[in-house]
Amino acid sequence: MATVTIQVNGRAVRAEKGEMLLAVLRREKIDIPATCNHEAVEAFGACRLCTVEITRDEWKGWKNYVTSCLYPVEAGLIVRTHSDTVIELRRTLLDLQLARHPRTPLIQQMAAEYGVLKTSYEEAPDGDDCILCALCTRVCDAMGFRAISTVGRGHGKRVAPPLDQPPPDCVGCLACAQICPTGFITYKEFGAGREIWGKQFQMVTCTRCGAPTITREFADNLAARREIPREYFDVCDACHRAELAGTMGRIAQWNREEAAR
Amino acid sequence: MKITSPAQLSRLQTDLAAQDKKLGKKVMICCGPGCLANGATKLVQAFRSELEKKRIRDFRVEALKETGCHGFCEKGPLVVIEPQGTFYTRVTPADVPEIIEQSIRGNQTVERLLYRDQATGEPKTTYHEIDFYRKQTRIALRNLGKIDQYSIDEYIRVGGYQALAKVLTTMTPDQVITEVKASGLRGRGGAGFHTGRKWESCATADDWPHYVVCNGDEGDPGAFMDRSIMEGDPHSVLEGMIICAFAVKSKDGYIYVREEYPLAVQNLQRAITQARAYGLLGEGILGTEFSFDIKISRGAGAFVCGESSALMKSVAGEVGEPRAKYVRSVLKGLYDKPTVLNNVESYANIPVIIAKGGAWLAAIGTPKSTGTKAFSLVGKVRNTGLIEVPMGTTLREIIYGIGGGILHDRPFKAVQTGGPSGGCLPADKLDLPVDFDTLTDAYSMMGSGGMIVMDERTCVVDVAKYFLHFLVEESCGKCTPCREGLFQLHELANRISDGRGTEADLALMEKLSENIIIGSLCGLGKSGPNPFVSTIRYFREEYLAHIRDHKCPAGVCTALIRYDIVAEKCDGCMACIHACAVNAITGRKGKVHVINQDICTKCGACMAVCRRDAVEVA
Amino acid sequence: MKHDFSRLPDIIGRYPAEPGSLIAVLQDIQKEYNFLPCEALTAAAQALHVPLSKVFSVSTFYNAFCLTPRGDKIIRVCMGTTCHIRGAKQLLEQLETRLGIKAGQTTRDMKFTIEVVNCVGACAMAPVVIINDEYHGDCKVSDARRFTIGAKKDRKEAAE
Repeated sequence: MATVTIQVNGRAVRAEKGEMLLAVLRREKIDIPATCNHEAVEAFGACRLCTVEITRDEWKGWKNYVTSCLYPVEAGLIVRTHSDTVIELRRTLLDLQLARHPRTPLIQQMAAEYGVLKTSYEEAPDGDDCILCALCTRVCDAMGFRAISTVGRGHGKRVAPPLDQPPPDCVGCLACAQICPTGFITYKEFGAGREIWGKQFQMVTCTRCGAPTITREFADNLAARREIPREYFDVCDACHRAELAGTMGRIAQWNREEAAR
Repeated sequence: MKITSPAQLSRLQTDLAAQDKKLGKKVMICCGPGCLANGATKLVQAFRSELEKKRIRDFRVEALKETGCHGFCEKGPLVVIEPQGTFYTRVTPADVPEIIEQSIRGNQTVERLLYRDQATGEPKTTYHEIDFYRKQTRIALRNLGKIDQYSIDEYIRVGGYQALAKVLTTMTPDQVITEVKASGLRGRGGAGFHTGRKWESCATADDWPHYVVCNGDEGDPGAFMDRSIMEGDPHSVLEGMIICAFAVKSKDGYIYVREEYPLAVQNLQRAITQARAYGLLGEGILGTEFSFDIKISRGAGAFVCGESSALMKSVAGEVGEPRAKYVRSVLKGLYDKPTVLNNVESYANIPVIIAKGGAWLAAIGTPKSTGTKAFSLVGKVRNTGLIEVPMGTTLREIIYGIGGGILHDRPFKAVQTGGPSGGCLPADKLDLPVDFDTLTDAYSMMGSGGMIVMDERTCVVDVAKYFLHFLVEESCGKCTPCREGLFQLHELANRISDGRGTEADLALMEKLSENIIIGSLCGLGKSGPNPFVSTIRYFREEYLAHIRDHKCPAGVCTALIRYDIVAEKCDGCMACIHACAVNAITGRKGKVHVINQDICTKCGACMAVCRRDAVEVA
Repeated sequence: MKHDFSRLPDIIGRYPAEPGSLIAVLQDIQKEYNFLPCEALTAAAQALHVPLSKVFSVSTFYNAFCLTPRGDKIIRVCMGTTCHIRGAKQLLEQLETRLGIKAGQTTRDMKFTIEVVNCVGACAMAPVVIINDEYHGDCKVSDARRFTIGAKKDRKEAAE
């Protein structure tokens, strides 16, 4: 891939042509806030926090404001990541989020970093922790389960399982809970069981040590899709490693015995 | 019967023209959106049954045509007798026997149904004499009112599909694109991107297949130009799309029609079926190697799906969430493939550009905004309806010259253009020419063509609140500045309308607006604050009256007005008491009635029924 | 309320069995049953190879779809700009008051539903009300009474 040179905050920076600007900026250790961005899923452009100011010599001073997560770099790009306009935009975005989620620690913290300790708008009386970053729905799609989605549109948009019932396609893999930046998505684990999105799951328990591993549904799904024998999942990772270590140990032993002969 | 050569098409046209001449008189009944809502269907039935009964010599039922919108919606239902051009207004089924006797069997006019000149009161016999029509230049709307909207033969009779024949047999794709570029045509949906350049980008994209899509989503409230074209002249849209498909080498096309337009869907579907039967759509069009077919994709009630990337997701059966457009949809559009998306009115212009040449269109309008534009002129103007004028015509010429000025001669307050993305322009802007760029410089925009005229009884704070509410409802909700920002902007506008706003609120709204414009993902959000930004610029005093004086000068904002019965005028007829849905009015027959302010919901029903003008708004 | 779902395969079968047909299928289903029953969502998901979550997402994103049963008489009030200026809001409030429900709701006896709809393109006849596909133009606030003939009287009183 071709490399290009762009300017970032007055400094020359090398990047691959077509690479997303946010990746370049992060590589340069520039602090760009973002809530809807994650390596596990495609960029989405929803939170708008990663917006930066761009221009080019031929634009004669005209500037554009783009979300760096989705903007492919090209030679001659001139970027400012913390201009007054950009700071003001981020402050407004966080101010708006704080109005909707006044008790969410992540939002409180990010807003404070931009000088917003209390929202300029009316606080939502029933503000929850879902910042509609859609990381959960996107990772669920990426995992291939597509069990949850966004429901409705506009201000009333929310994340939910279909028909607000336990989602038929969910296998309880917990990817959504793990990727959720605010902890809005919760789950319960009890003995050999797990519950998420109102759906109950039974865990596979390791036939060696008895520890719960993954849900039965997840195991069945992986076995079907990845052509891995279903029995593989009846042993937990730790026991698999122990078994492998044991096998490696025996091989080493045989080699020593061979060498000694 | 498939038409397999241009020669065959021409023969058909000649035959149809000859048959038409033999018809002698024709009755053109307007079946446009306005007249339909006003009972045009019953009118058609009345004509049919009367003509069946009467059996007029030399008059056949084929001479009864159900046409598209004639444009003068204010005076509908409209009936025109051709070839004389006799123009009848406000026609009811009861008038039909007389029209048949006087104007069809005989050669007289029915005086009382004629249009009367506003200034002189003089009746005008034909529409050629009426300013509303004389001052227009109808290109995109050329066939509306002139042909039966359900017949492909009618379209062919007036020269339809000749442009397609010319393209398929004498031009190359490059030549077609050159002609469209030469015309200077810019997207009629409002964005104004150069159509020729768009087609060129798609044609040269090396990623297959290519798609041709028509944006029939016309979501701007107050706009019905596209609806009229889709219903009244659907073949002009098809012909434009087929020509585009040839130019950009596409085999599959879609027309996206919003859910609120079921008749447009029907008429377009009928036209597609007819075109296929004639071999003008499908495999081997007009006997050539070129194949292209069109499917209709229905919207499901989402204004945001008028945005190109959202529209394409909707065609693919998904939610209409736009995507950031750093890679244009002409390169990555429908199913991530190169796609031309153009508006209905843009496609309607194409056959004319091919037939008469791009230079012909470029000579009309202004250098940067060539050609004409269709507008729906509505609101507090005398002559509401559908019009088309050259670009560069001033607002004054449109509103006063064609529109006939303000209803009841009230003072002009503002004209709202560009729908929810546009703004309100005050009286001192009336001499601005209407085109893609001038109105934008003045903090409004031409948009898709909706033009809403307002008088002193319209409150700009209420208008801003209305548009913001609309946008909050229609926002897809994906990005923060639009979803949260417009929501808060609307809340603040609401506070001001309720008399609870402060000047600090105004400053907050202005700053918030700037950030919504910069930060939003798509056009809906980016232009969302415009209704507020334009009204605060030109009507700041009105906002301040709500804030400082707790008054709504226009008498609209319900929290700041009250309805009162003027005792001296009230005759105790009890009409308002019956009309009031919340029992807020007390009084006995013959005694003065009184409105209880604690219960009154300010609905205005009492004022509407009072025959003595005894109800006042303060 | 019992619905006959045996017609579902026919309705869904009108279109190619692919995700792109989803919106058209849902529209036809709604036309048949007057709303979208959840059994229909599941059937559509299976037939068109679309995950149920996406079907639910689409059916809640678009205004045209309703997931709860609607009344015999569906009164749709156009809220376009011209209609708004000419009093659509007051007309809507009258209807809401007379029927004791808000826009988007259905009366308990399943006789009336009120919906708001975006500009239907008949602006010269503003304000426009559509009752079960029949257009009524030039509506006044006082027309609300005849539109709601047959509504339970006690509903009106209960609202006060």
